[in-house]
Amino acid sequence: MFSPPPINHQQARMILPQGTRDVLPPEWAWREHLRGKVAAQFSSWGYQGVELPALELQNPQHPQDSRAFKLIDSGGEVLALRSEFTTAVQRLVRLRFPGGPFPLRLQYGGRLWLRSQASELGRLREFTQLGVELIGVSTPQADAELLALSLSTLQAVGVRAQLEVGHPGFLDALLEDAGLPDTLKGQLHDVLDRKSGPDLSALLASAGLGGELERTLSVVNELYGGPEVLAQARRLPLGMRAAAALAHLEQVAELFGQERLLFDLGMSRRYLYYSGFTFRAYAEGSPRQILGGGRYDSPNYDSPDGAAQGGLSGAGFALGLERLTEVAARHLPPEPEVVLALDTAGAEHARSLGLIAEGCWTGDLGELARYAALRGIRRTVRGTGFGTLAELTGAGEATA
Amino acid sequence: MTPLAPTPITLALPKGRIFEESIELLARAGLPLSLPEKSRALQWKMGHVTLLELRNQDVPVYVDLGIADAGIVGKDVLAESGRSIYEPLDLNFSHCRLSLIREVGATGPVHRVASKYPRLSAAYLSGRGLSAEIVRLSGNIELAALTGLADAVVDLVQTGSTLKANNLEELDVILRSSARLVVNRTALKLKRSELRPLIANLRELVAVNGKLAAPARG
Repeated sequence: MFSPPPINHQQARMILPQGTRDVLPPEWAWREHLRGKVAAQFSSWGYQGVELPALELQNPQHPQDSRAFKLIDSGGEVLALRSEFTTAVQRLVRLRFPGGPFPLRLQYGGRLWLRSQASELGRLREFTQLGVELIGVSTPQADAELLALSLSTLQAVGVRAQLEVGHPGFLDALLEDAGLPDTLKGQLHDVLDRKSGPDLSALLASAGLGGELERTLSVVNELYGGPEVLAQARRLPLGMRAAAALAHLEQVAELFGQERLLFDLGMSRRYLYYSGFTFRAYAEGSPRQILGGGRYDSPNYDSPDGAAQGGLSGAGFALGLERLTEVAARHLPPEPEVVLALDTAGAEHARSLGLIAEGCWTGDLGELARYAALRGIRRTVRGTGFGTLAELTGAGEATA
Repeated sequence: MTPLAPTPITLALPKGRIFEESIELLARAGLPLSLPEKSRALQWKMGHVTLLELRNQDVPVYVDLGIADAGIVGKDVLAESGRSIYEPLDLNFSHCRLSLIREVGATGPVHRVASKYPRLSAAYLSGRGLSAEIVRLSGNIELAALTGLADAVVDLVQTGSTLKANNLEELDVILRSSARLVVNRTALKLKRSELRPLIANLRELVAVNGKLAAPARG
């Protein structure tokens, strides 16, 4: 494999590791505003917050293990920096809520780290997700609730979004029923994930497969768009599992309102733990999805035999705070005015009016005026009276 | 003209001959395009379509990141980019093959391979259980085999006449390439009213062309 030469950090004068960034004042305020709105929305639907450690014990079964940052603990054990939340929340539920009560509604928020993320537009290696998990139930009603919650959350922060649903179990079942070897199934998942018509034909031809399977998979490759997709899917020759996956999707769509959804039945598994229904949200005018989620069954990676050992079914979604900040920034309320408080009573008065009051750190009026001009402060407050910056030093001097 | 205003779309096309062929094909598929006058412009707006003229390696980048909604690029460049974007159609022009090339009669072990395609070369070698060092070069790759810089090279072959003239032979075909239509993952869904008919029209045109001129695919 080609790999770039190691970077000499000193020589390159690199100040931050690639794929990380500082968050500066106006953006920080937007982030916190959005974080608060989103968390409040989750809370009002009954999702209680949990906090999870950013340091985890490394586990080769973890779905993101190959992409996670690793550290060595003092005893020599390998630790991993948190790389996704769903697995961690499952661990927490098994440990802290073994008996429920179910359904259990939890929300979380925090940073994630991925080692191998290409560092370009919106793809940081350190990023923040906010999300929910609805655990212990697997009904279409539960899936419809998550769709409704994700849309209302995006609406609450002023983002116009379009939801798209799929069911990787559908494609999985079709390939399973065709009795294909695992390697070929893997290749077909990859080809269908890219909706590559030419590669699909070439792959089937090289495997000596054609006929009904090729016709079916070519149709599946085109099964994206509005609710008409469901009817097209129903006309395909489906085995029991594929039919069941389609039926589940139809029920969810029925409950949520199918005219409000886009569908993609060629959606393949991008995360191995999503075995059931999956969904994502596209924000108007943003080239990448802003929210994604789905249903999984029993990803108990801590136990040697997975599902058999107390795995839980659940579903959830997460949204990326960095992308949300970009997309939602236009809809934010204006910041309150900042004033310079010349005494404590003035500061309290201004704050009681909802303004931001900064205190004086010196008696040097020229210094205060210079600072205020740089900071964009136009008014002062003393007691209950407001004044202009010019009055602070006598007319004309404050423009330095 | 349709009564509804069409959704604006941005297309990424590679410079050179493939740019002209692409514009002709897209115009026949119903887009309001014509070959722009020679100028220093880097992008053109024609009706609801914005065209970006790029180096071919940059087309997958623009499409993956959503700066362009769709684009046309060789399968060789797309595969080398490693980007997972939608790739609905083989446009059946600009055919070439990516091959393993050595000097005629060379029999020694392959320890070093030179290529403009380091990712595909590495995948090919590891798929055959070979471990060789990959040297990334930018042009006239054949020279690496002739001068001893590398024991073999991985490069594009169109007619094979350069190889013959330089006493080189093609030992294995790694990938058969032709121009592909590529589409951004979000755009295919959100701009499907514009992109689906375009894909359908192109598919029909390619099928008709394929019947007229026998495809050079083996």
